Amino acid sequence: MNVQNEMSHIHLENHNRRWMLKNTAAGFGYLAFQSLLDQVMGDESTELRGAERGPLAARKPHFEAKAKRIVFLFMKGGPSHVDTFDPKPLLDRDDGKPPPFALPKVVFAAQGNLLKSPWKFKNYGQSGLPVSDLFPNVAKHIDDLCILRSLHGSNPAHGGALLKMHTGSDQFVRPSMGAWVTYGLGTENENLPAFVTICPTLAHGGMNNWGSAFLPAHCQGTPIGNASLPTSAASVKHIYNKTTQLDKQRKQLDLLASMNHDHFEENGREKALSGRLNSFELAYRMQTAMPEVQDLSRETQATLQLYGIDDPITENFGRQCLMARRFLERGVRFVQVTHSDSEVQWDQHSDLVQGHSKNASEVDKPIAGFLSDLKACGLLEDTLVLWGGEFGRTPTSQGNGRDHNPHGFSMWMAGGGVKAGYAYGATDDYGYYATENKMHINDLHATILHLMGLDHERLTHRYAGRDFRLTDVAGQVANDIIA
Amino acid sequence: MMAYLPALPNPRTGSRVLTASLPFATAFLVAALFVAVLFVPALSHAQEASRKDIDFFETNVRPLLVKHCYECHSGKEQNGGLRLDFRETTLKGGDSGSPLMPGNPDASLLVKAVRYNNQDLQMPPKGPILPSEIAILEEWIASGAHDPRTMTNTEGQPMASPKGMSIEAGRQFWSLLPIANPKLPSNKSSEWAKTPIDQFILDRLERENLQPAPTADRASLIRRVTLDMTGIPPTPDEIEAFTKCESPNAYAELIDRLLASPQYGVHWGRHWLDVARYADSNGLDENIAFGNAWRYRDYVIQCFNADKPIDQFFVENIAGDLIPDSNLESITGTGFLVLGAKVLAEPDREKLVMDTIDEQLDTIGKAFMGMTMGCARCHDHKFDPIKQADYYALAAIFKSTKTFGDTNFGAIKHWHEISFADKAERESLKKVNAEIAKHQGALSTFKSNAFNKLRTQVRGQAADYLIAATKISPEMTLQEVAAIAEPTGLHPRVLFHCRRQLSFQTEHPLFLKWHEFLKANDTMQMGEYYRDLFQRTEAALADAKKKDPATKKLDDPELEVARAELYNLTGFLAVPPKPEFAFDEATLQEIGKLATEARLAESFAPDESAVMGVNDGQVLTGLPLHIRGNHRNLGDVVPRDFPEVMRPPHESPILSRKQSGRLEFARWLTSPNHPLTARVFVNRVWRWHFGKGLVETTENFGALGDRPSHPELLDYLARSFVESGWSLKELHRLILRSSTYQMSIHNEATETAAIVDPENRLLSRFHPQRMTAEQIRDSILSVCGQLDLRLNGKSVPLRNRQFVFDHTSIDNTRYDSLRRAAFLPVIRNNVYTLFEQFDFPDPTMPTGSRNTTTVAPQALLLMNSELVINAAKRLASQVCSSVSSPSERIDLLYREVHGRQVSPHERERALAFVASGSSSGESLNEEGAVQENWFLLSQSLLLSNEFIFIK
Repeated sequence: MNVQNEMSHIHLENHNRRWMLKNTAAGFGYLAFQSLLDQVMGDESTELRGAERGPLAARKPHFEAKAKRIVFLFMKGGPSHVDTFDPKPLLDRDDGKPPPFALPKVVFAAQGNLLKSPWKFKNYGQSGLPVSDLFPNVAKHIDDLCILRSLHGSNPAHGGALLKMHTGSDQFVRPSMGAWVTYGLGTENENLPAFVTICPTLAHGGMNNWGSAFLPAHCQGTPIGNASLPTSAASVKHIYNKTTQLDKQRKQLDLLASMNHDHFEENGREKALSGRLNSFELAYRMQTAMPEVQDLSRETQATLQLYGIDDPITENFGRQCLMARRFLERGVRFVQVTHSDSEVQWDQHSDLVQGHSKNASEVDKPIAGFLSDLKACGLLEDTLVLWGGEFGRTPTSQGNGRDHNPHGFSMWMAGGGVKAGYAYGATDDYGYYATENKMHINDLHATILHLMGLDHERLTHRYAGRDFRLTDVAGQVANDIIA
Repeated sequence: MMAYLPALPNPRTGSRVLTASLPFATAFLVAALFVAVLFVPALSHAQEASRKDIDFFETNVRPLLVKHCYECHSGKEQNGGLRLDFRETTLKGGDSGSPLMPGNPDASLLVKAVRYNNQDLQMPPKGPILPSEIAILEEWIASGAHDPRTMTNTEGQPMASPKGMSIEAGRQFWSLLPIANPKLPSNKSSEWAKTPIDQFILDRLERENLQPAPTADRASLIRRVTLDMTGIPPTPDEIEAFTKCESPNAYAELIDRLLASPQYGVHWGRHWLDVARYADSNGLDENIAFGNAWRYRDYVIQCFNADKPIDQFFVENIAGDLIPDSNLESITGTGFLVLGAKVLAEPDREKLVMDTIDEQLDTIGKAFMGMTMGCARCHDHKFDPIKQADYYALAAIFKSTKTFGDTNFGAIKHWHEISFADKAERESLKKVNAEIAKHQGALSTFKSNAFNKLRTQVRGQAADYLIAATKISPEMTLQEVAAIAEPTGLHPRVLFHCRRQLSFQTEHPLFLKWHEFLKANDTMQMGEYYRDLFQRTEAALADAKKKDPATKKLDDPELEVARAELYNLTGFLAVPPKPEFAFDEATLQEIGKLATEARLAESFAPDESAVMGVNDGQVLTGLPLHIRGNHRNLGDVVPRDFPEVMRPPHESPILSRKQSGRLEFARWLTSPNHPLTARVFVNRVWRWHFGKGLVETTENFGALGDRPSHPELLDYLARSFVESGWSLKELHRLILRSSTYQMSIHNEATETAAIVDPENRLLSRFHPQRMTAEQIRDSILSVCGQLDLRLNGKSVPLRNRQFVFDHTSIDNTRYDSLRRAAFLPVIRNNVYTLFEQFDFPDPTMPTGSRNTTTVAPQALLLMNSELVINAAKRLASQVCSSVSSPSERIDLLYREVHGRQVSPHERERALAFVASGSSSGESLNEEGAVQENWFLLSQSLLLSNEFIFIK
C-alpha cells in the first residue's frame, strides 16, 4: 500500500508539511511532537505551526453528529433474539411442531422443530416493550433503549459473521468499523489510542476485527488483553518494563534523544530522521496514561457495586464496562467490550437454558450499571451504545439448543441520538427471517456512521485502484430510529 | 454494474458463444435487449394506451415505484444496473434482465421479487410491501404495463456510458504498450554516469537542472548494500576491511560476496513472500495451521539463492505441477495458489470455490501483472480495460484447478495438498495419530469423570441444595451464596444456579412442593419430603437397572418426574460447564496438565510429508459469467481465455481440453512479449533497492495507479532483464553498480531539489530508509551475537491443520526463536507484535511496497520487550567482560553496534551516563547500578536512529 494514501483526505498546502505529516504518522499526540520539533528544528518548525495537526487529531464530521463516541458491547457466539428482545407468541403456541416455512438454502447444521422460549417476557417501562427474564436489570432501562429487531446478515458461520459484523466483509480482510470511525473522526485524547478493544476474542477473525487493513496504521484498535485473560490482568502489550524503573528510563530516553539529536544534525537535518523522536516521548507518557485509565481502585464502592464488580459472576464483565466508561470519558472514540469466555460463549447449540442463563447473568447487571452510570455523568446523550452478537439463533431446535441464525436477529442501541423506548423492524411470526424494516449489517454500519456524523458513502479510502467504504456498495441509513 | 448496449463489433474470435462475441454484455443483458426489442414497439405508441391505463399508472403504480424502488433504482443510483424511473429503462432492466413481462405478471421478475417467495430475489430489501400493493403491480403488468414515462433527450441510450477503459484505449495505455527499446540518452556531464541506469537518471536530472548527489561514504555504502542484500548489517571487521581497501574492485567484489551469501535468499525471498501473501495459518474465519507452508517458503529462498530464472519461477508458481519435467520442487511452487486466506467454514461450497478463485485471480493480477483483476468479478472494471468476461475466462481456468482437497474436519474444508509420504511413513503416522488420540482421550476421560463425580456428589445432596436454597434469594450475589453454601459442604455455583432455577420453575411438578414449603417457611418438612422422594427414586432406579441395565425411565410417574430432574444435566442441579467454575484447584491443575500434554503431543507430532499445491480437476472449457458476481445468477458461458487487452486482437489462445490451461496461461504470462510481467517485476526490484518504485504503486499499473517517473528506464530494465534470461542476480548487479545506487542521502543542492522534486522521485539523492521489521529484529540479534543463521525447515510450532486459535483465545505461538525473522511463524489474524508494529504487510494481500509508519507502540516495544531487553543485556555483559575500562567499553560498544569509532563528545556523554546513580536506591548496590547503566546505554544504541535507519 502506498504511504501517500494515508493522508489522502487531508489537504495540505505545501509539500514540506505534507512531507512531515507523511513521515510522522505518530499514533498519539501530535502536539508533543511539535514542541519537540521546536527544540530540534528551531526555525524550521515554525512553518509547521499552522499546518494541520496529526492524523489522529479530532476531525470535523461530515455533518452534525448525534454521537461523539461509540461503545460496542459485543456478545460473542450469537445471543438468541427470541429469548431476549423479540418475543414470539406463535412460537410458544406451535412449540414442537415442524416449522411452517421454508428454511434457508444454506444452513449451518440440521435443524429440528420449533422450540418455544423457556423464558417469560414482561413489559417494562413507559414504552411497555417486552424483555425476557434473562435481562431483568437491562429491562429497567427499556425506556432508554432502541431495540433493532430486524437485523440480518449473510454468513451463518462464526468466523464469517464476526468479520461481517466488524468489518462489513466476510470474504476479504477489510478495515474494521472502529478503524473507519477513527479514520473519519480522529481522537480527542492525544495520550490514548482512538480505538480500544477490551478483552477481544482472538478466534474467528482475530485482529482483523479491530484491524486497519489498508487504512493507516494509526486507525487500528489497540487490544487490551484478550478473551483468555481475566479483565483484571488485561493490559496493552509492552506497556510495562519489568527491568527498568520509570525514572531511570526517563534518563535513558534523555540519552537517546541526545544521540538522535546529534545524528540528526550530522545528517544535514534529514527530515526522515525526525519522525521517531517524539514517538519515544509519547510511549513514555502512555506508560502512565494507560494504566491510569485501567486502574479502578479510585472508583467508589458504590460504583463498583453498580457494575457488579463485587460479585464474582459479574466481576469480569463489570470491570470491562467500567473501564469502557473511563476510556469514553477521556475522549476515546471507539471502545469495544467483548463478552466471551474460554468455552462456547453465547453459542448454545445445546443447553440453551443453562448457557444463556449463565451468560446473561454475567452481563445483565454490568450493562444496566453501565447505562445508569453513563446517564448519571451525562455521557449517554452523545455516546452511542450498541449491544449484540454476530447473529441470532434459530427458533427451531438443535436438541435443547438453537442453531445460528443470520437471517433475522436483534441488537439494541442506546443514547447517541437514537429514539429511546422504541422498537424498530420485525422478524416473521416465528423469528426466523427479518421481514419489516429489514436492517442488513451494511445498513447498521451506515446508520452508525450517520449517527457519528459521517456519510457512509463519503467516508472512502482509495486502495488498489478503488475507493473503499465500510459499506462497500450497499447500506442505507435507518432514519426511523434517529430521534 | 452499468447496463448498456454493446456498441463494438465482435472483437473476440468467432461467434460460437454469445458472450464471447459480446464481451461487455452479460447474457442477461442480451436477453433483456431481446425482450425490449419485442415489446418496445408495442408500447412506444403511448397513444395506444388509453387514458384509463395512464390514470391507473399515475394514481397507483407510479407512487408505489417512487415509494419503494426509486431510492436504489432511479437517477441517483441504479443498483444492479436497474433504473425504474423511465419506461425504456424499466423495460430494458438491469443485470438480471427485464423486470417486466407485460401481460404476464407471474413471469415478471418484479412480481417475483415483491412476492418475497424466492430467497434470492426479494425486493424491496427492507421488507415486503403490502399485499394490496402487490396486487396493483400484478394488475398493471397483466394489463400490459402501460407506462407514460418516456425519456427525453436520448436516443435509446438511457444509461450513462461506462467509465471503464475500452479495449482499444487500453491497448494504448502506457503499461500495456509493448516494452520499448529506448535509446540511451547522452548526458551533458559525462563522468558521473557509469551505467545505462545512470544515463537515464542523469538525463532527467539535467533536464530539471538538478545534480546527482555525491557517492556515499564507504561506511554508509557497505552498511546500505549489506542490509539491502542480506537484511543484516555488516560486521565491524567487514566495515573496516571495506573502508580501508583501496582496490578499485572492492565494491564489485563486495556485491559478488553478498550475492553468494545464503542470507541473500533469506532476505530477497522474503520480499517475494510479501507479494505471495505468505502465511503459516489460514486466518480469516477458522485459523488453522498451514503446517506445510514452510516448504513453499524454503523453496522461494532456495530459488532466489540459486538465481532460478524468474520466468521459470513464475511458471512453477502457477503451473509447477503441469510442466513437462515437473518434480517435487516445481510442484512446491504451486503452493503460491493455495496460500491465500479462505473462509474454510463457509457452508456454501460453491461460494467458497468462487471466493477462492477470486482470491487467486486478485493475487495473480496484482503479483504478476499489476492489475486489479478482482474488480471485474461483479462488473467490468470501472477504470481499467478488464472486462467481466476476461475475469470469467480466467476463472474457468482456475475452476478447472483443484485448490481444495476432498476431506474436511467438521465444517472446515481442507485445502489441497500433495503427499509424498511413502508407505513406511504412513504406517508410522498411524502410530503418531494414535498417540495423539490417546492424549486427547485421556483429557476428555478425565474431564468427564470429574464432571460425573461432581454430579454424583451433588445428586447425593439434592435435598440439601433445596433446603439451602430457601435461605437465599435469587438476587443474592455469588459471594453471599458462597457464605451459605460452603459451611454445609455445598458447591456455591451449583446452589446459586439451583436457586435461580427454582424461581424460574414455578410450575414444575417437582418444585410445586418446594414453593409451598417455602411459603410455609417449613424447611424441616421440606427436607423430609425431598429426602424421602429422592431416596425412593434412586432406589427404584437401582432396582430397575438391576433387572435391565438399559433402563432409562421409571414407571412410577411421581418418581419418574424426580428422576428426570435429578439426572437433567441442565436442571436444578446443573454443574457449571466451565471447569474453572466447577472444580477445585487440584482437578483444574490436572486438567491443565493433560490439556497441555495433548496440545504438545499434537504440536510436535510429525506431519505427513506433503506440500500445499494444486492439481488439475475436472477440466471446464468455459464458465458462465456470474451476474454481479453471484454464483446463483448465471449468465452465458465464457470460454477460457487470457485478458483480451493484453493479447493481440485476434489471437485467442488454444488451450488443451485435457488440462486446465494454467500452464498455457503461465507461459503466456512469462513470454517476452507480455507487456506487464517483466515491467512489474523489475519495478518491484527497484522498489526493494531504493525504497520507492519507478511506479510507486507496485501492485497497480492501471489507470488509477502511478505513472512511471522514468518510463524509458523502466523499459530498459525490463528488456535487459528478459535478455539476461530473467536473471535476478544480473539485475541486482546492474542496479548496485550504478552511480545512482551509490549516491549519498545528502545533496548540497538540496534546496533546488526540494522545490522541483520534493518527493525525490527523480533521484537526486538516495532515499534514507527505516529498517523493516525483520531487519530491525535480525540486526539487533546480530550485533548482540545471538542471531542463528541456519536456513530451512519447519518453524511454526503447530501440526498441520491444528487450530491456532479456537474458542479459548489462548496464544500458544512463540516467537522466541533466534533464527532469522523470515523463519518466524506468520500467523494471520494475530501477526507477531513486532512485525505488526513495524509495518509487516497484511499477509492476506500481495504487498510490494511496505509502509513506513511511526507509532508510539513501536517505541514501547523497543523500550520494554523482552527481545530487546535480553539482547541489550547480553551485549552489555559481553562488552563488560571483554574489556574493563569504561572508556574501552564504550569504544567497543560503538564499534559493535554502529561499526565506527566513538567521538570524544559521545564518549564523554556515555561516561557520564554510566557513572550516574541508580534509581532503585537501596535495592541495588553500586556495582548493580553501574551494570544497569551499561545495559541501558547498550539498549539506547540499539534504539537510536543511527541504528534503525539505513542511509
